Amino acid sequence: MLSFRILDFFIALLYFTGALSFLLGLIYSSKKTQDRAVILSIAGFGLHSLDLFLKYILGIGEILTQSQFYISLMAWSFLLIYFFLWWKLKLKFLSITAAPLALLLFTGSLAISPSTLPVPGILQGLWFGLHIGSLFISMALLAMAFGAGISYIYLDKKIKAKTKLSNVSKDIPSLQSFDRANHLAVIYGFPLYTIGVLSGFIWAAFTWKTIFTWDPKEIMTVITWFAFAWLFHKRISGAWRGKKAAQMVIIIFALTLISFIGINFFTETHHSLRP
Amino acid sequence: MEQRIYLFGLNHKSADVEIREKFALTGFDPEVSGLMGQESPIKETLVLSTCNRVEIICVSDAELDEVSPMILKSWAKFCQQEYSLLEKHIYSFQDLKAVDHLFSVAASLDSMVLGEPQILGQLKDAYRESVKNKTAGVIINRLLHKSFSAAKRIRTETEVSSSAVSISYAAVELARKIFGELQDQRAMLIGAGEMAELAALHLLNSGLKDIMVANRTPARAQELAQRFKGQAMCMEKMLDHLHKADIVISSTGATSTIISASQVKEVLKKRKNQPMFFIDIAVPRDLDPDINMLDNVYLYDIDDLKEVVEENLAGRREEADKAREIVKQEVDKFSHWLKSLDLSPTIVDLLNRGEAIAHKEIKKSLRNLGPDADEATRKAMEQLATSLVGKLYHEPIIFLKRRSREEGSSDKFIDLTRRIFNLDNEQAPENAHQNRKRK
Repeated sequence: MLSFRILDFFIALLYFTGALSFLLGLIYSSKKTQDRAVILSIAGFGLHSLDLFLKYILGIGEILTQSQFYISLMAWSFLLIYFFLWWKLKLKFLSITAAPLALLLFTGSLAISPSTLPVPGILQGLWFGLHIGSLFISMALLAMAFGAGISYIYLDKKIKAKTKLSNVSKDIPSLQSFDRANHLAVIYGFPLYTIGVLSGFIWAAFTWKTIFTWDPKEIMTVITWFAFAWLFHKRISGAWRGKKAAQMVIIIFALTLISFIGINFFTETHHSLRP
Repeated sequence: MEQRIYLFGLNHKSADVEIREKFALTGFDPEVSGLMGQESPIKETLVLSTCNRVEIICVSDAELDEVSPMILKSWAKFCQQEYSLLEKHIYSFQDLKAVDHLFSVAASLDSMVLGEPQILGQLKDAYRESVKNKTAGVIINRLLHKSFSAAKRIRTETEVSSSAVSISYAAVELARKIFGELQDQRAMLIGAGEMAELAALHLLNSGLKDIMVANRTPARAQELAQRFKGQAMCMEKMLDHLHKADIVISSTGATSTIISASQVKEVLKKRKNQPMFFIDIAVPRDLDPDINMLDNVYLYDIDDLKEVVEENLAGRREEADKAREIVKQEVDKFSHWLKSLDLSPTIVDLLNRGEAIAHKEIKKSLRNLGPDADEATRKAMEQLATSLVGKLYHEPIIFLKRRSREEGSSDKFIDLTRRIFNLDNEQAPENAHQNRKRK
């Protein structure tokens, strides 16, 4: 529908200008530009929420079977978690990951042509709620921790090497706050990821009457889950903190990205979102 | 008659500390010293006396060769020193150069430590004093207010006073980069020494939760702990308590290292790898340099901190050029105002303002009348508006002209007129009224 096209265009525009002004604000260490970036992102997020809501209301029954919708929803959950972390940890800085990733996924969702996914009617509610909800939120948490992790490693290296803190690194929040983002992402993210994966396998058991089929998606998911579990354990026990945890989160996020984008779109899998 | 601004002074560049001490002007009252009075050509004065600079700013309609000896004589007399000694070290500026100098001083561009913030407070105190003694008039009032706002502008628009330029502040800044807010952090001070204590004090002022003090002599430990409201312990117990400390400042006279990397490794296990920041101020060093290799631990010794300070200072010097540009702009604005203090530009401005208002209103009313209004009505309206404005401004102009013939008070009334009718199109700062109430 044309009206949705226009709405989508405006959302993408807001995300784009938001991400751009955050980057510029950081480079020129201008608080005003950074604040403007946040306002733009909030405006984009508001429109995006409306967009998702309208699509859901108007296209009920059909929308849940379209891959576009899920990618758009993923972009939305990234921002949702970003705002959550901002509120919880006062970490506005994570715009650096949230804004570009949301932009990338959202425009990605516009670029692919509509396709239909096989979703059996009886399981729709459960599948949507558990599988998508928990996995998307845990991925969004990972995405934010990914940004925090990169920032942590960068700042840690600077402080350790005793090099001059440039303008950019002066505006960066403290190491501790990045580590707290990592902690939250692991503590909440891992249980959610587990729920998401389990519900997926249960759904598979109902649909295909088999749990594990050596599908690339399934293999990737299990690898990611083990990596995540390991990090979860190390974090809880206090053995890992700071740099090691940051590095691990970066790896895990990369794995989920490969699984979400690489496998869903480019390989033969029964979890395909390909058009 | 035209008023001129003069500035005479000594600072850390023009005079040694002994000279500056000799010519300090603490408690100097221009009126008591006979500098100002009915007969004197000096109309306004302001005296700034700090340990790095002593300056007198005055406003007078006399020439420099008349004002200069007057000021310097009473300065030397107040300090009971030789006039010639003062003359040798003094610098003087006139009019816009004086304004430029004062703005630079206020913005801390002329300070020994570039960008240090104290000078602005000292200047504010000096101004308050001159207001109290009633030695500040229209020009000094305006001059000082503008110097404060220029300094504020420079502080927000440039980074000339942003990064830390002392060892102890650099340590606090680094601690902030590691821990963020310091309210949950605890520090341990090992040994004592001026710089270590200063760093501890700055950390406490930045919101640190509390401080532990370990010292070889228990009495000294007690004393320091009391000062910092912390917990004292003897040196032998230090390692047992180390795991409770997030920030460790070490400054003992020990000849070998007192904490090794492997000991820190043990401590880290105890505190579940929570980050630690070690500051080694001692020479020779107290802490094993390998500590910095451990994950989640950061070690800075005195040389590292000195380097940070050096780099920050270099950064400030770069920013100072930007700041000087702002000073230039502000001086331009001030000179514009200074010129307008004459009577005729003010009258012209006043009449222009009136005419502008009249024309705007005529246009509006004519539009309301519509195209059908006849020529006679239009003419009558135009005449009404312009003559109304002329009549309204007539009395103030007569008043100003009369006052300007009297000695001394014209500046005040011209300034008042400009402010009442807002001829300089200024916007009052949001907190203008609060400031007034506090005074």
